[in-house]
Amino acid sequence: MTREEVFEKLNEVFQDVFDDESITVTDTTTSDDIEDWDSLEHINLMAAVEFEFGIKFSMGQVVTMKNVGEMVDIILEKIG
Amino acid sequence: MSITSFYFLCFFAAALLIYYVIPKKAQWGFLLLLSIAYFMTSAEVKDGGGWYLICYPAVAVAAVYIAARVIDRTKEQKRKRAALICAVIFCVGLLCTLKFLGLPLLVPMGISFYTLTLMGYLFDVYYEIGRVQTNYFKLLLFGCYFPTMISGPIVKYKEMEGQMFEGHDLDYRRVTWGMQRMLWGFFKKLVIAERMAVIANQIFNNYTDYDGFMIWIGAIAFTFQLYADFAGCMDIVLGISECFGIILPENFDAPFLARNISEYWRRWHMTLGTWLREYLFYPLLRTKFFMTLPKKLKEKVGKKKAKQITTFSAMFILWFTIGYWHGGTWNFIIGSGLLHWFYIVSGELMEPVFVKWRAKLHINVDSKGFIFFQRLRTFLLVTLGLIFFRSATVPDALRMIGRGFSAFNPQVLVNGAVFELGLDWVEVVIAIVSIVIFEWVTVKQQKGWMRERLEKMPVALRWIILYALLFYVICWASTDRDTAHQSSFIRILRFKNPVSGNWRLGNDVCDRQE
Repeated sequence: MTREEVFEKLNEVFQDVFDDESITVTDTTTSDDIEDWDSLEHINLMAAVEFEFGIKFSMGQVVTMKNVGEMVDIILEKIG
Repeated sequence: MSITSFYFLCFFAAALLIYYVIPKKAQWGFLLLLSIAYFMTSAEVKDGGGWYLICYPAVAVAAVYIAARVIDRTKEQKRKRAALICAVIFCVGLLCTLKFLGLPLLVPMGISFYTLTLMGYLFDVYYEIGRVQTNYFKLLLFGCYFPTMISGPIVKYKEMEGQMFEGHDLDYRRVTWGMQRMLWGFFKKLVIAERMAVIANQIFNNYTDYDGFMIWIGAIAFTFQLYADFAGCMDIVLGISECFGIILPENFDAPFLARNISEYWRRWHMTLGTWLREYLFYPLLRTKFFMTLPKKLKEKVGKKKAKQITTFSAMFILWFTIGYWHGGTWNFIIGSGLLHWFYIVSGELMEPVFVKWRAKLHINVDSKGFIFFQRLRTFLLVTLGLIFFRSATVPDALRMIGRGFSAFNPQVLVNGAVFELGLDWVEVVIAIVSIVIFEWVTVKQQKGWMRERLEKMPVALRWIILYALLFYVICWASTDRDTAHQSSFIRILRFKNPVSGNWRLGNDVCDRQE
């Protein structure tokens, strides 16, 4: 899967989790950019991403991820 | 040795002097010695179980140390997990057995705090967020650092490793800031908390003699007592540590400015909240049960409800734990746990209704009046919980709340009844003035440290303010000046009046007892 494809899939997950069709995520998107992305929603988001890509983040990755770019790096590493 | 005792201040002054004289490499070792010395002079050791209580933290640190080394070295996930589980069961088991089975003589100082601190370190190593410490004695210092042993804050290893083990040069500004902060803590603890305690004790211990407004006066006094005592203690502790060059995390951020209960818990005992969120709540939500629950419920109740039910059930476990950690009996489990869970859950469920009401009543949610209403409401909800917290049992708390609603007697506020609670009118005025100063500074500090403002003031004015505060604390610290239990650090400054037997400052102006 290419980076672009990961982003495409990830966009759908974000739109679904936050119930907002207008969300488009980029490398630099952080929780500050999406209003409902609080710590609780973060855990839901992680669960949805894990389900979508069939991967499992470690707890360390869950709490230290800084932006969507880093999330994509980890996803690529896990599925590659 | 109480941190408000005169001997503690002597201990601290001597320690500070030596700390900055010895080589920087030896500083952490010296802090460890101080921590052990402090532990050995704690009331738990002296009046309780004896010197061997030190074995508890030493063994707990050893268990965590070994487990962390195993987790770090082995590559097998199973072994890592086994090491983690063994250490957690051992430490948490010890905490629960000792603290909550009613064995007060066997409980060492600070066990609730150092257990969480050490667990946090171990989880960080397990989750590969934090580095492993290979020196047992450094880990022992991290777990038993004496300022945090008394009542927190719960520190994170990542935040401490850089500061704790590398030496510090004497920094005039940091030391003065630390001491200013200690003074501010003494003000909260000795002037406000001890006065509020008199009223709270009188009403809580004899609640069957009071009703209506008097009950609420007692409850509010206890809320201020607990807040001033705990936040004051934190100021002293953070100030002490700052003098040693080690910045500890903040534990309070003006909790009574919170507009709702969730926000209150982000401002009150913050390090406990963070700890439980990161090491209990998130891992809980990531267990198989909670991960699959929303999917199972989705078809029955819809996506939004399914998510809510999942979150609320995990929160139930979280709040139960918070309550249990505070004391292990139902009055704590309800008063500082499940009641707050109920507030948050009902608040979320009622939110659509509240939105409608606000629209109907044309309320501007950002108006000052509405914000004030929200803050007052949050304060009263917390106070209600603290009635459980302070009462001996749940039935007592319920009866007391019942009495609070059994009469409408606002006249007690003006007919002098409040002066019959153990504080005369001068004491009550001092208490109110002090609380106003306390709250004013707290609100001002939302925009930056008062200490920074002090720095910018002309020298003369700064010294006047600091000395005024110092003498204010010395004069008005504690109320019952002639009882042995007073923890006031000025007790030793006073000599005993040979005639009346009262402790005095040596200067009658400050002592109104005679």
